[in-house]
Amino acid sequence: MSSHREAPAISQDPVADNADTYAFVSPDDPSTVTIITNYVPLEGPPGGPNFFEFGDDVLYSIYVDNDGDALPEIEFRFRFKTTLQNPETFLYNTGPIGSLTDPNWNKRQLYSVSVVRGNRGGDEDGDGWNGKILGANLACPPCNIGPRSTPNYDALAATAVHSLPGGISVFAGQRNDGFFVDLGAIFDLGDIRELNMAHLIPMATGTSVDPLKTLNIHTIAIKVPIGMLTRDGSSPSNVLSPTSVLGIWGGASRRKVQVRDGHGVRQSGPWVQVSRLGNPLFNEVIVPVGDKDRWNAVDPIDDVGFEKYVNQPELARLLPVLYPGAFPNLAAYTKNRADLHAILLTGIPQGVVPGFQNFTGPKPADMLRLNVAIPPTTSNPNALGLVGGDAAGFPNGRRVFDDIVSIELKAIAGATIPLVDPSFTPDGAVGLVSSYLTPGADRYQSSFPYLGTPHDGYDTPSS
Amino acid sequence: MERLSRRSFMKIAGGAAGAAALAAAPPIARAAVGEEGAQPTNPTTGVPEEPVVAYVRDASRGEVTVTSGTAEHTYRDRALVQRLMRAAGRKDVR
Repeated sequence: MSSHREAPAISQDPVADNADTYAFVSPDDPSTVTIITNYVPLEGPPGGPNFFEFGDDVLYSIYVDNDGDALPEIEFRFRFKTTLQNPETFLYNTGPIGSLTDPNWNKRQLYSVSVVRGNRGGDEDGDGWNGKILGANLACPPCNIGPRSTPNYDALAATAVHSLPGGISVFAGQRNDGFFVDLGAIFDLGDIRELNMAHLIPMATGTSVDPLKTLNIHTIAIKVPIGMLTRDGSSPSNVLSPTSVLGIWGGASRRKVQVRDGHGVRQSGPWVQVSRLGNPLFNEVIVPVGDKDRWNAVDPIDDVGFEKYVNQPELARLLPVLYPGAFPNLAAYTKNRADLHAILLTGIPQGVVPGFQNFTGPKPADMLRLNVAIPPTTSNPNALGLVGGDAAGFPNGRRVFDDIVSIELKAIAGATIPLVDPSFTPDGAVGLVSSYLTPGADRYQSSFPYLGTPHDGYDTPSS
Repeated sequence: MERLSRRSFMKIAGGAAGAAALAAAPPIARAAVGEEGAQPTNPTTGVPEEPVVAYVRDASRGEVTVTSGTAEHTYRDRALVQRLMRAAGRKDVR
């Protein structure tokens, strides 16, 4: 998956596990950028009575680098606080929840949003704060429990989209997980069911299955006017201008020390990053398991140490082994993967793809790179993004419906090598490498926060 | 006590800042600083909302780290580390 349970340590800490990060020019409001970071992967909808929520002891951050130095010039911070209306009941709600202030809703979360500009995280003086609060006591929606408890969920969740000063909108709460992958097959020795017969351990051909189609996620989404994010405060229209490119990633941090003594849990010390995510599948598929926890702990500016995994990706060596005879050209290609290095670590420079660039400079750093001068594709967007001829999609940022598994599998299999090395001919099998999945329309919605209604626990699973 | 972090935790309040921080530290640290023969105690109250925590980061180098709020400072203080190690019942104190 993109980054669901991708590393040993964070897989034990779901509320701080950044599972997906998205960044795109809002299709229905193209003067803004929407950034989404998802947490609590693999939520089973019936998971009560303590339904899923954000961590009160976690600092959730969205970072924006607008000058190509791989350091954030802007950080949006989200902090949550859980409240109980009635501690004398075991129930999440004691009747139908009709509003965000309904007394029937027992266990609820409020949150604050703030912005820190300049040096990362502020707090250099140890006073705990140097940012600006954008909004406080903002309500999350409840989880989608079922027809008795949350009978008008869409309308209820819509009231949890909060407008903040400066034209910013925020939402934090449960949504439908938009990511799709045949998880069961891909981690069964790199299988693609449609290619079962060609696998090293052959089986009868099958049809890909998406286990995420019945699962939920917890989403933090913010929609910000473009001029609030760019280095000069402009809304660029020149695709080839460096000003047009933003580096974006998400991260979660916990306090360094946690003390338990039977009276409660207390925290002390600075915030320490435990999870981050820029490009999908980077830590999951590129970084080996012995280095994954370290990757989560460091910042993009420290990614030079992970460059070797991009230059010589393990999966590119595995594909010719797992599918004997299908990838002879890939197997023979021993050069460093300059194509993947550009896509994942620096952005694609001008001149590689006509009329396109999302280059942030030579500093290697894992970030989504969004060229905000490229308008959103509002008519028949191609889920294969740039590979499919749609420059508004991944790796130009990432949209909620982009078929990341297909794009990255094809790229690693060699589809993008000719962009930087015209002497290479991709193997014919590259055309067969795909997720083979088409997500249902219910996974997404056309307006902020763009991820669809979460599955309710009464109806999911349906049998 | 030689300060190893770059911020001016000690500079702000001189030696008193360090003493104050450790006075509010968990009993094991408090006992270790004030007495050679530290006595175990049974705390009767919960940990403060934001406890001050001191931990021996590297005993062989005499390094102790103190966290308070969201700040963290590391000092080189072999005498303090030795007291903490003795209070912890460690036999490998030099």
